[in-house]
Amino acid sequence: MVAIIFGVSFHEQKLVKKALESFYGLGPQTSARILAKHCIHPRTKIGSLPPKTITALTAELSTMTIESDARRIVQENIKRLRDMGTYRGRRHAMGLPVRGQRTKNQIETAKKLNKVERMA
Amino acid sequence: MSAPNCLRCLVRPSAAFRLSAPPSTSTLTPATPLTAATQIAAFSTTRATAARAQSPQTPQATVKGHVRKGKRLTLKGKKTKTIDHGKSPLPGERKAYRKRIILSNDNAIPVPWLTDLTAPGLADPANVGKVLALPPMTQDQLRASEAFKPTQCWGMFRQPAVLVRKETVDLTNRMQEAAAARKVLRMVLTGNKITGKSLMLLQAMTHAFLNEWVVIHLPEAQDLTTAVTEYAPLSDTNPVQYSQPVYALKLLHAIRQANADVLAKTLTVSEHSELPQSLPAGSPLLAIANQAKEVDSAWLIFQALWNELMAPAPYRPPILLSLDGLAHIMRVSDYRSPSFDPIHSFDLALVRLFTDALGGAIKFPAGGAVLGATSRNNNPRSASMELALAQREAEQQQGVEVPQKDPFFRGYDERIEAVLKSVQVLRVGGVDRREARALLEYWAASGMLRTVVDEKVVAEKWTLAGGGVPYQRH
Repeated sequence: MVAIIFGVSFHEQKLVKKALESFYGLGPQTSARILAKHCIHPRTKIGSLPPKTITALTAELSTMTIESDARRIVQENIKRLRDMGTYRGRRHAMGLPVRGQRTKNQIETAKKLNKVERMA
Repeated sequence: MSAPNCLRCLVRPSAAFRLSAPPSTSTLTPATPLTAATQIAAFSTTRATAARAQSPQTPQATVKGHVRKGKRLTLKGKKTKTIDHGKSPLPGERKAYRKRIILSNDNAIPVPWLTDLTAPGLADPANVGKVLALPPMTQDQLRASEAFKPTQCWGMFRQPAVLVRKETVDLTNRMQEAAAARKVLRMVLTGNKITGKSLMLLQAMTHAFLNEWVVIHLPEAQDLTTAVTEYAPLSDTNPVQYSQPVYALKLLHAIRQANADVLAKTLTVSEHSELPQSLPAGSPLLAIANQAKEVDSAWLIFQALWNELMAPAPYRPPILLSLDGLAHIMRVSDYRSPSFDPIHSFDLALVRLFTDALGGAIKFPAGGAVLGATSRNNNPRSASMELALAQREAEQQQGVEVPQKDPFFRGYDERIEAVLKSVQVLRVGGVDRREARALLEYWAASGMLRTVVDEKVVAEKWTLAGGGVPYQRH
């Protein structure tokens, strides 16, 4: 059985908490609060949720700034720094560490993430 | 000097040999067309040899057609190991194996002098220091209520048997007195690790089953409070309480299976139209328990059953309500309310039922007992419970100073103190020498102990076992 939450299908053996945390911009704190709000215990799996709760979760998620909304906020913040011509904006654009780290080695994460159009 | 063997016989099949070898097979199988393979396959009929012989000069080409000599280079981490570990167990199979309960062992020697427990057996002071067997019917009831634990060594003996201890007789006598006076014995069993608190609980349950009590046993308190089972707020409660429907359903099944006979004899006093199938007054309580099939209605059915057991009526059986791992309910649970506040264990309806009974707020119509056993394994610290139990224990003894609260510690909980304000405490200690002797004799008769049991051996084993605490580990 597969349940669809917020347009994404999850396997019935997946923990509800992990399923919620798979959305961008929704972390452990928020997911714990959502679970508590709907009286779902932390070890519930998707398969044991009644359809009513799944609908309620989807409704709940649709009111939150997650996924593309959350990504856009991050991108806008970086773009603002870039447009202002700040050092942080420039470092983002160059794909280099932003917060004063040394760049001799170990900058893979910065290379991967720091872009003006940041996706992850 | 000539060679002892014919040199031609030692020569491997080669092109030269093939040319010189006589086509012997052709005479044997004239119907088959003569090919190079059939000619060569005079001594070895394997396909590999035949294949090699078919093109003896060209080395084997790889799939890509590239011929490569020497050992093949395998880069680190790129090996594709396909080790066959056999069939892996199905989901849940490992746990079922780990948690299985084996109650008999056909390889163990049957003990000829072992007798079955009778209804008054566990309350008889003459039985102290005797090992008595659990009757098969009671075994089923105990198994249904999950009184046996996987850590206990029942599987080493032919038949499950228990040692009657001084504490057992003391406990069962107090239970009987309470039931006779239609009162409730409220008691906490405590003691060091591996002293037999859970086993004492099992003996109390055995006594209750043999004397036709209704036994409601919560085998692991941690299942209720560590947020591993479904919970839902109860609508008509203030402050809000939470039901645990899945656990309630499991409990109802256990109650029904373990107490079927007693419940069939007990009749309802009021009509139950709120149940999935409405029941008229005067129907057996078993009919209520039998309705427990769906999670949605489990808590409703449990409440109906409990209310009927509590109703004053001409015939009501005494009730034993027991719980193992008391510290787990004497704390704030891992559940969260919809407003993300931690839920106190006492706000879980099933726990509330037990603590109300333990605190003396519920009177059973025919009396009975509420027993809680502490555990020393995976035990959360509950300062209030530890202090309250120490206080009650000191109050029971003469001339012992009652411990007081630490004025600089904030972690006490008034709700817990209120529940444990007037309970009795039974400390379970190590077995004494007489009981140790009975145990050793039983083990020797079962083939577990290969020595003659005499005073010297008993004294030695008893002393080495830290004064009668079996298998005590330091």
